[in-house]
Amino acid sequence: MSVVIRLNVDDEHAHLLPTGSFDLTHAADIARAVAETERDLRDLDGRRAVILDLSSLERIDGSGAVLVAGLIDRLEARGLRTRCIEAHNPHAVRLIALYRHRTEALGEATRTTGLLDRLGAVAARVPASVTGVLDFVGHSAAAIPGAIVSPGSVDWKSVPRLMQAIGADALPVTSAANLLIGLIVGFLGVSQLGRFGAVVYVPELVVIAQFRELGPLVTAIVVAGRSGAGLASELATMRVSEEIDALHSMGFDPVRWLVVPRCLALILTLPILTWIGDVLALGGGLLATRAITDMTTRAYVLGTADAITGAHFLDGLVKTPFLALAIGLIACGQGLAARGGAAAVGARTTTAVVLAIFGVIVISALFTLFFSLLGI
Amino acid sequence: MQAARPHIVVDDLRIGWGSRVLMEHVTFDVDRGTTLAILGGSGSGKSTLLRYLIGLERPMSGRIHIDGVGEPHRYEGVPLFGVLFQSGALFSSMTLAENLALPLTTWTSIRRPLVRDLVQAKLELVGLGPFADHLPGEISGGMKKRAGIARAMMLEPELLFFDEPSAGLDPISAVELDQLINTLSRDLGITIVIVTHELPSIFLVAHNCIVLDKPAKGIVARGDPRRLRDESDIPFVHNFFTRSSPGASATGKR
Repeated sequence: MSVVIRLNVDDEHAHLLPTGSFDLTHAADIARAVAETERDLRDLDGRRAVILDLSSLERIDGSGAVLVAGLIDRLEARGLRTRCIEAHNPHAVRLIALYRHRTEALGEATRTTGLLDRLGAVAARVPASVTGVLDFVGHSAAAIPGAIVSPGSVDWKSVPRLMQAIGADALPVTSAANLLIGLIVGFLGVSQLGRFGAVVYVPELVVIAQFRELGPLVTAIVVAGRSGAGLASELATMRVSEEIDALHSMGFDPVRWLVVPRCLALILTLPILTWIGDVLALGGGLLATRAITDMTTRAYVLGTADAITGAHFLDGLVKTPFLALAIGLIACGQGLAARGGAAAVGARTTTAVVLAIFGVIVISALFTLFFSLLGI
Repeated sequence: MQAARPHIVVDDLRIGWGSRVLMEHVTFDVDRGTTLAILGGSGSGKSTLLRYLIGLERPMSGRIHIDGVGEPHRYEGVPLFGVLFQSGALFSSMTLAENLALPLTTWTSIRRPLVRDLVQAKLELVGLGPFADHLPGEISGGMKKRAGIARAMMLEPELLFFDEPSAGLDPISAVELDQLINTLSRDLGITIVIVTHELPSIFLVAHNCIVLDKPAKGIVARGDPRRLRDESDIPFVHNFFTRSSPGASATGKR
């Protein structure tokens, strides 16, 4: 059934006779009929009253009523008198009355933001986010003496659970990653050093590459992706469900209670994961070398044992606590900074993972630069 | 209209998980345009029953017909009812206007300016006209529930389900919400099923009620809440409406 508003103008009245189904399904047709009626009534002067006769309505629901009520509102705003006639449809009259004067705010221009607006807004947020980061780092630094002075203010009991979640549960994936890196370095070494007949140096290459650089870096990247996301989303969810506020209200310092044990668990487990990864990478190098050269296992192992020095070993391990701390601070800081709802948790988690991986790479590079300047 | 046929027919419903039966022999009708309250103490399964009524869970046996249509209670894909969840369940990343527009943009082909008009009218109806561009995180609990009602009404359903609408609201907001529910029932002719344990709400909005009890695994009483309050001789129902503890009335001691 089509939707029309029949119009009949005589000396005293303008009769409007809406006909058809005035419901959500026909909303577009109703809007068109209303606009046509308004156009037809444009020249109507105030001497004639507008009479809305609802007797031919087949059906009306809230959406239809909104549009009809808007029409009446606008006609009255022009100074016309209006009246509803109900033959046998009191429901329709009540429905339209319910939506009268509900659409006044319409037609206002909605806020539009241009490119410059958004650029400005982003730029304006930069100082606040920098001070926020510095504030959090300072707060975390202050939390360490605080934790030592009053050990009860830290959730020590969660440390074993966190070590399990961050360390033990990550072992399969960090091990596999390191094994494969050892394999890759081994294949690269054989193909490149083999050109000079120097396959015998492949064990040393694997040791130096893995112990000094790749072991800590690859392990930290995997942990940053895995635990960074886990910690950030955990703390962000706690923040948006007011658990952090609850800690505050009970007199706890959330940084001390939550961030210290998490960073501690990372600092304790990342070196262990790195050690295990180093050993597996040596195995990967051995596999690669054995697969494509005729070097014996014994020769490879002896070459490896010669290559491992305290300096190589320590150079790599010295970094790992710093990498762990960076992952922990970034993930926890992002988590605690979440505001709003589910969307904020997702956004903060993404930022945490991106920043943690990037931070790990930057710190690793700084250490390498530092060591090479010192000639270690 | 088919006033003679009940709007909702629930016939011999049995619900539970695995071998654990939570409720059985649940049978009731809701007439078009009336308001039914599902009552019961905490843990009696009111909200669980609601989850079955709105099709979130499958019953072990029995049927639920809405408008004569069985599960999944949709007409050409469009749900036949609106639901207000306990927390409002607004999408936190969208403004109120976007939350309300979502059902329209999903299920209808109405163009954007008209959607905006319809959304604004609904927001005005629930008294949230000036808050269209606010995020759910920026408004109060009562406002979230009213926005949730407006969203539930966007597709002009003839049936609305409310899960504890006045839980967690101050008495004045709760009364305002009850008045809004009354308006929907009276002026829009909407059939309403409301889960609640707030006595003032029950008497203000409900034409009928069913009372659930956990030990009885089902409905222990049904009818006009006022009559149940004054005339029921079932101890649990009597205690529920007079807010007395079971120990006091069962033994009469202390």
